[in-house]
Amino acid sequence: MEEERRQTGRRTLLKAGGLVVASGAIGSIWAFVTGVSTKGNARKRAMWIRIVDRPTLSEKTSDYKRFSGNDMFALYRPLKTQRDGAGSFEAEQASKAERVAAWIRERKPGYSLPDVQLSEGAWTVMHSTKPGVGLLSWTRISVRTPAELGTPRYTAPPEEMASTVKAAARLYGAGLVGIAPMNEAYVNLQALRESENEKDKDIVFGDVDVPSVSDTKFVIPKKMKWVIAIAIPMDLDLLSSAPTALGDAASALGYSHSAFVVSSLAEFIRGLGYEAIPCVNDTAQSVPFAVDAGIGELGRLNKLVTPEFGPAVRLCKVFTDLPMACDKPVDFGLVKFCRNCKKCAEACPSRALSFDDEPNFKTRGPWNNPGHKAWFEDSYKCLQYWQKSNSACGICLVSCPYTKGNEAWVHEGVKATASIAPAADPVFRIMDNAFGYGKQHDPEQWWMNKSQSGRRG
Amino acid sequence: MINGADVFTITIRKRAWWFWALAGLWLLLEILLLQTAVASAQEREYRAATISWMLVGLLATLGCFAWLRRRGPHKRSNLSEQHREATTSEPASISTAN
Repeated sequence: MEEERRQTGRRTLLKAGGLVVASGAIGSIWAFVTGVSTKGNARKRAMWIRIVDRPTLSEKTSDYKRFSGNDMFALYRPLKTQRDGAGSFEAEQASKAERVAAWIRERKPGYSLPDVQLSEGAWTVMHSTKPGVGLLSWTRISVRTPAELGTPRYTAPPEEMASTVKAAARLYGAGLVGIAPMNEAYVNLQALRESENEKDKDIVFGDVDVPSVSDTKFVIPKKMKWVIAIAIPMDLDLLSSAPTALGDAASALGYSHSAFVVSSLAEFIRGLGYEAIPCVNDTAQSVPFAVDAGIGELGRLNKLVTPEFGPAVRLCKVFTDLPMACDKPVDFGLVKFCRNCKKCAEACPSRALSFDDEPNFKTRGPWNNPGHKAWFEDSYKCLQYWQKSNSACGICLVSCPYTKGNEAWVHEGVKATASIAPAADPVFRIMDNAFGYGKQHDPEQWWMNKSQSGRRG
Repeated sequence: MINGADVFTITIRKRAWWFWALAGLWLLLEILLLQTAVASAQEREYRAATISWMLVGLLATLGCFAWLRRRGPHKRSNLSEQHREATTSEPASISTAN
């Protein structure tokens, strides 16, 4: 009887042990997939996002140089000329407005008056500023400096500084934040022009204490050795109605949100006693800074793809002289995935994206910056479709298998598996299609769905 | 009482460890698919939601089938064992192997 009781006790102990081991294993897999940490309830990035020393597409040649920031005009001019015999960027914009007005009257789905005006409303913050002026001012707007408060400027170890800045950026609305070292090669040669007739303003680096903006040039102090790269997630439900005016609201909101985040962060840094330059698309190439800061990898779309939100993000950045610990690039298996996938290239209605198996150095026009390895896109074809659809398209952003709403747990598991077992990539590509991801959402249903949604996002 | 015998044996058979492991895996998959179905509908990914609901149903059916299928032969073999034991007039016992 005693022996039997002892055996039963041992068996119970073994069962309990097995349960603990099984729970531990499930917990570890969960932490690996989601990045949930037990330390201080913190949520780190998932463990399948590997930190590496060099970006996955890091090969560069001597051709890699500072790039002009104004090639958008070089694209629009031939586009308009081809269509109407003669034209300019401004003429094309005016012509687009007329075409959109006609579609509003025709009640084309996704181009109703509320659809169009939703986008216009979302642009408001971004349209109220421009590089060096207003929210994107290169100097203090209203914050009181430590000198005015009678205190020394804030100092802390670089890791703590980085952590403080990232916390502030997240509070202001950043989805992902990383710190990269300044690389002058990523900074544009000229400031973004507001119109085609404006004169080019050079962007130069100078041995100066404060950044400055004049009628002839923009001066970045050489002491600004750090770049805070930020990704703002776009509203995926809205973006999924692309290519429509309604879908454009996701981009517009992303831009306005970016302007708010970088201007708030720049003021915060100035308030700590340092200089800061807030930028959205202007002044420098956002993608290479974001790659260096470990926000994501360069994908087949020739855009940044983040592990969390795919390519459905808007990028912005802040240059500063505030010393911070820099982040490293990441590898989550994207380049390997893109080699097989090609879903974005197939989904692109204008066939603007590359079908090449391997990334290479072959640029496809003056809009591509040569000297680095990528899957280069044909921006001219892309803009032709923008013109045809009277929208900023965005189909490639939605079609990417990494673009997911992240409500379903299974997506994290798929991304984690793709990161550690690329052999499964073709299966995930097939599954993504079979489950119907990347298809256009009915624009007319968006309003009802949003009005009834209890969630904030 | 079976066939008039005044004693009978109840045998509770222990299921193999792998059965419980499979049942755990089944439950995890059901939860995952259920969550995917609900979340996909929230994300307006209706095709993904429909397929997930179908998979939830399919897996539930398979699970029930497996459960009943395992119980069926057991029941029969228990009965035949009980019948054997009862007719050979062994002493009454209740054995619990679990």
